[in-house]
Amino acid sequence: MAWWIRPLVRIVAAVLLPFIIPAFITGVLWALPGDPAEILCPPGFCDGTEALRDRFHLNDGPWGFYWAWLTSALQGDFGRSWRVAQGIPVLELLLESVPVSSMVVGLAMVPILLGSLGAALGVFSKRLDALWQGIGLVPAVILALLFAAYVEVTYGALSLDGWPAMLRILLAAVVLGVADGALASAVMGTRSVFQEEVKQRYVQMALLRGESVLSNALPNVLPALVGQMRSRVLHILSGAVIVEVVLGIPGLGQLLWDGTLLQDFGVVLAAGWGFSLLSGAMLLVQAVFEIGIAMYVRYSPKVQM
Amino acid sequence: MKRPKLATLWFWAGIGVLAALMVMSAMAPEFLSTPDLKMRSVGPSEFPPFGTDPMGIPLAEYALQGARIVTVPAVVAGLFIALMATIAGLARSAGLQWFDTGLQVFSEMVGALPRLVVILVVALVVPLDWRGLLPVGLVWALLASPGAMDEAAATAERLGGARFVEALKAHGFSAFRIYFVHIVWMNLRNVIARQAAEVAMQVVFLEISLSYLAQSRNQPSFTHSDATNSWASLLYFGYTAILGAQPLMHALLLGLVLVGVVAFMAQAIRASARAK
Repeated sequence: MAWWIRPLVRIVAAVLLPFIIPAFITGVLWALPGDPAEILCPPGFCDGTEALRDRFHLNDGPWGFYWAWLTSALQGDFGRSWRVAQGIPVLELLLESVPVSSMVVGLAMVPILLGSLGAALGVFSKRLDALWQGIGLVPAVILALLFAAYVEVTYGALSLDGWPAMLRILLAAVVLGVADGALASAVMGTRSVFQEEVKQRYVQMALLRGESVLSNALPNVLPALVGQMRSRVLHILSGAVIVEVVLGIPGLGQLLWDGTLLQDFGVVLAAGWGFSLLSGAMLLVQAVFEIGIAMYVRYSPKVQM
Repeated sequence: MKRPKLATLWFWAGIGVLAALMVMSAMAPEFLSTPDLKMRSVGPSEFPPFGTDPMGIPLAEYALQGARIVTVPAVVAGLFIALMATIAGLARSAGLQWFDTGLQVFSEMVGALPRLVVILVVALVVPLDWRGLLPVGLVWALLASPGAMDEAAATAERLGGARFVEALKAHGFSAFRIYFVHIVWMNLRNVIARQAAEVAMQVVFLEISLSYLAQSRNQPSFTHSDATNSWASLLYFGYTAILGAQPLMHALLLGLVLVGVVAFMAQAIRASARAK
């Protein structure tokens, strides 16, 4: 396969993702039997079916709904929440929750990056793999509920502000960075990529010349490592929904969960779209890395034969 | 006497746990027993085997109902992943270029989505009477399938891909023997079994997580009906016990043991499936 096919597919996927997510939701809504407004807000279980129908152009058919929502979203207008925080613009809710979630995800990447670095530098012995795997078997929800109980017991009613609130974020980051095999896959995934590369002849020759493995192998393993890192960020984003709710952190995950439970369609659609934009951006970053490395390997005078 | 191989022991351990879960789900009562307020929150020593909840209902019933909620969807999700991984491995062995390109596009699109976000969107748009763990589990399996398919295809590639098939054809082997015995059984089964077991385990943990979150907000879960109770209820009782609200540490212990049993099953199946 030519080197440019994978990055090209990633770029195409990144551009299409924000259009595909609302299209998928639209397709599912209209593929299901019954009236879309009544599916989202079943009469008898929920009030405001008619208001929902008007607000989201559900009477205009799938294309009318999709186009109206997408054009508004591209202008930053996601409408107003009608259940989670009645009357508040959804964009405002998103802007409040995104920084909190970004902090959780950023901090959760710390153990993962340290694990990857340790594996790349050979600091973590292979004998420790069983330990990482054992820790990784713990589901995020269990670790999160134990931590949530600890914070509640220690700080009681004061646990939602100040240091206890920060502690909740730190503990969420620990859960996301360690549970569900996050740390184990970072350590073992990075090591396996490096081990494969170290077997290559050019690395062995470099070792004989007295050069380091890392400086020689890194350009070639970087695309694979960036790909692994992207899937780990996605894993963390996914897990953040559970961990934020259990630990009571007002982030994007909690907003999405509340939107789903309370059937706030506008909030869920906007949050889902936000996640798809983020995923698309990460795909683009990976594609840029791959193209950059491919260019370096092909055109750098240092690596020209 | 010939000693059984370790892989065989793991296999039977995993199958044994799966069978036990199936028996539990078959034995699960339709509804919980009538509350017995004289036996509220008592431990296993007073009410064997697992004690009772704050209403005096035996925790064993929660364990059985929880098994019924998760067993079939988890097995179906595992089988779905096994099927997808098998198809990807066979297509790579057959040298189908168009399939590889299609697989990459599919992997990029589906793999780029945070799974739980998609699950929540699906949970929102699926009609109330369709809600259950099976559709959620299948969507989860679909979202997890790119990884499994990629790994199975890469394993088939390392085997030699189309050249391996050509070589075996030259030996006069039948298509069935080449694809299903040599490729799937002898070489891909490790990947297939591991991925299937992992996804089955993830579906169980997903159910526990979603039910726990719903219960913590006093909302109905979209993975089971209101009449049944998930293993998440045990964990929730345990959480209240840690907070000191009720003496229900035995519920937490039971919940953790059940989670551990599922994790053990997945590990055992994984360990048993070593490629020749």
